[in-house]
Amino acid sequence: MTDTNNVIAARRRSTEFRLVLMAGIITAGAYTLASLGQNSVIPPRILPFLAALLLVLMSAHIGVRWLAHGADSTLLPVATLLNGIGYVMIARLSERLAGLQTTWTFVGVAAFVAVLFVVQRVNDLARFKWTFFFFGAGLLLLPMVPGLGFSSGGARIWVSAGPINFQPGEFAKIALALFFAGYLADNRELIAAGTWKVGRFYLPEPRHLLPLLAAWGFSVVVMVGQKDLGSSLLFFTLFIVMVWVATEKTSFLVIGLGLFVAGATAAYFMFDHVQTRVAIWLDPWSRYQGKGYQVAQAMYALGSGGVSGTGLGLGDPTRIPEAKNDFIFAAIGEELGLFGATAILIAFLLMIGAGLRTAMRTTRPFEKLLAVGLTTILGIQAFIIIGGVIRVVPLTGITLPFVSYGGSSLVANYVLLALLIRVSDSSARRLGEVPDTATFGERFAARLAQRRIKRHPEELEALS
Amino acid sequence: MNQRIRQFAVVLIMLYVFLFAQLNLIQVGKKTALDADARNTRQTVRDFNDPRGDIRTSDGVVIATSVRNAAGSEFDWQRTYPEGDLYSALTGYFTFGYGATQIEKVQNDVLAGRTIEQQLKGFRSLFNGRDTTGTVETTIDADIQQAAKDALGNREGSVVVIEPATGAIKAMWSWPTYDTNLVAVQDSKLAGDIFSFLDEVPGKPLLANAYQERYMPGSTFKVITTAAALDDGLITKESTWADESEFLPPQTTDPIQNYANKVCGGDLPEVFRRSCNTPFARTAIELGPEKMVAAAKRFGIGETIPFDLPHSASSQFGDVDYFTQNLPLLGIGGFGQGNTQMVPLHMAMVAASIAHGGVMMRPYVIGATYDHDGGVLQRTAPTVWKTPMTPATSSLLTELMVGVVNEGTAKCCMRLANGVQAAAKTGTAQLNAAGEPERSHAWIIAFAPAEAPKYAIVVMLKGTTAEISEGTGGTLAGPVAKKVLDVALAQ
Repeated sequence: MTDTNNVIAARRRSTEFRLVLMAGIITAGAYTLASLGQNSVIPPRILPFLAALLLVLMSAHIGVRWLAHGADSTLLPVATLLNGIGYVMIARLSERLAGLQTTWTFVGVAAFVAVLFVVQRVNDLARFKWTFFFFGAGLLLLPMVPGLGFSSGGARIWVSAGPINFQPGEFAKIALALFFAGYLADNRELIAAGTWKVGRFYLPEPRHLLPLLAAWGFSVVVMVGQKDLGSSLLFFTLFIVMVWVATEKTSFLVIGLGLFVAGATAAYFMFDHVQTRVAIWLDPWSRYQGKGYQVAQAMYALGSGGVSGTGLGLGDPTRIPEAKNDFIFAAIGEELGLFGATAILIAFLLMIGAGLRTAMRTTRPFEKLLAVGLTTILGIQAFIIIGGVIRVVPLTGITLPFVSYGGSSLVANYVLLALLIRVSDSSARRLGEVPDTATFGERFAARLAQRRIKRHPEELEALS
Repeated sequence: MNQRIRQFAVVLIMLYVFLFAQLNLIQVGKKTALDADARNTRQTVRDFNDPRGDIRTSDGVVIATSVRNAAGSEFDWQRTYPEGDLYSALTGYFTFGYGATQIEKVQNDVLAGRTIEQQLKGFRSLFNGRDTTGTVETTIDADIQQAAKDALGNREGSVVVIEPATGAIKAMWSWPTYDTNLVAVQDSKLAGDIFSFLDEVPGKPLLANAYQERYMPGSTFKVITTAAALDDGLITKESTWADESEFLPPQTTDPIQNYANKVCGGDLPEVFRRSCNTPFARTAIELGPEKMVAAAKRFGIGETIPFDLPHSASSQFGDVDYFTQNLPLLGIGGFGQGNTQMVPLHMAMVAASIAHGGVMMRPYVIGATYDHDGGVLQRTAPTVWKTPMTPATSSLLTELMVGVVNEGTAKCCMRLANGVQAAAKTGTAQLNAAGEPERSHAWIIAFAPAEAPKYAIVVMLKGTTAEISEGTGGTLAGPVAKKVLDVALAQ
């Protein structure tokens, strides 16, 4: 515990403070411009907006300062920037949804701070890997419960509880990433070793691999059954990446890709909706009157944006169905142009960079795998939906993390961010960059132990 | 594991590079093609959701404006034309699915506030919330326009009133036309049905007949033949022609006849005011194809009229080779029959050039454009288009045309109110071949006051009914011209 240690952490936090402030200024500026562009007036609710913005940014920043002093300094600012740009677009599309998104942002930041507070020793989570699996599996199955779950937009991934509708799948992804990280951290060497000889090949022992395969197979089958193609694809990728990184065996990557090709082909021939998606991807124009309309409108929107965009509030993104949600990237591309859309890509690359850097800095397998898994969820999910909107891959409905409208998605992503920041802070403590002070839980346990020693000194003597 | 993480990072970066490349392809590479796609209604929608300035007459009557729709409508604004069909050929329409025409089209940038000047001035509007739309002021006089409509009534035809000294159009009306409000509806399908219906209606109501169509001019064309021969020196005021009812030109056995086969002859003022045919046929053939065609060109015949509204037609006379082979047709063309075709607007310009000392001005209907604060963006400066005759010829023609009003074919109908002296030339263009039922257009070109002309006019009634075909330019078109000129000169 020297002074230099504190200097490194303090510098990180002051960098984060300045970056968060900059994200706030960009968001406030964009909000004002969008209102000027749309109605030619300074937004009437600019003061409450600025107050809410400041409150959100500062509570998240102070949360990190207080609970994760040594964490990476770029993750939070980039996430708040994405959240801010997304909010401006949503507010520009629908005032009503903007109000809801404000509420969800507050809930998200509260969840962020709560996770940082509750999970202070991230490695402890590894012990609950099966709990996380069953929790995740339960969340995945929730929409299938009659009377509770319902379909929207073709996929049965919604749950209605009282006045609130949410997508439990958004949280299931994180729970399952925790499970994979925990399971693979324990068993990765056994799986990689391949001690079971079948003919000429050495395969992993079934008892090490089977639980993993069963858990994964179950999740994929549920997601495919719910027609949630985007999540299935994301989950498939997440699994392959984590097994590949954990075992360091390229053969798993090859097998995974083979399985993917086989699965995708099978899905193509088994499901009409998959065939439709592929047909639209290849040629949205011939289905302009039907399901290709959305993608065609996204193309027109991006085209009309051009290099510099129409300007905030000056485009016509309401013509794209679901512009607030899956297609928010097209709305951004229209009003902010190639410049703005590229900025979003760079923002995600920055988060990916920060996430993977966190994974590389930590020495503990569980933390490493967890950071890789969470970064994969973030990076691949953004790729899948952006690629779907701009026709790099077939469109599969999924939200753009932090940017799209949607409470479940936003809150889940803030939880994910908290876990990444926690891993980052944890390795900083281990590397001695920050003093590793005891957590509340540990201090409480220590006090209990002291009291016990006072009352029963013989127990301590018996131990030694 | 770190090596794998590094490799994974490279894979992710590559995926995002793909996204960036595709984004470039769409937003830069395919931008033009996407914007041009017929199904892409973004630009139109943007226009429909933006305010749009007024079009008004020179005396301040609003003839096109945008009113805000009730909340919840598909578009924020509705374009309306308060005067119904009266100005449809001038304002044109501004529709959702069918584009825009006339002033709505050519002045779109001004009306929508998109000229660079407006954009620069409009920068301030960011802070006060005002729109940047512009106003287009036409040269049209609302009273004269209304008079033209009333005087023509339900007969098919056109009326154009022009200011000889400037070329400014003071009235331009043709019937049949359509109510612009019918097609400016928001329901694209309904608009399409109305367009299909209007397309089928005989008389082409969607076309502005006054400047987008051409018709056989009949004897009004004699002013051009006379100007050509006077300027050439072939004839003078004192030239005389023998009495005859028909004339046999070279290359044919089929004689050219006077109107109603009358015996006709005398000096130039007499044959001009009585509108004999044979003297002008003889004059045209004597001048020869080259000089006649050159004279027609001096009047701008064969060229698209440089009007400031789109798709104006061009008048036609014929070329030298054609007339050399067909001298009888040159003779017939000399009094405005045969293949000669004149745009009504062009005939008004011919009358105006006689009234303006032999100088033909470029016609225009857009007088000035203004920004939102009333500052002038652009004001049309009158320019000379053609100089078809000498001043001397123009004053002699004026004298001849005064004769038509006082003692000739227009004597019946062109005595203007308050004793104002008009100058005119009538025309009755026979459309039917020999033996077929009579069909003729009735024309008059005129200007007044003859000594200091303020207005030139053309009235043309299409020979689509027996009533018109039985009448003459003087008896049918004359009263229309008189009513319109009386209203114009009363101001």
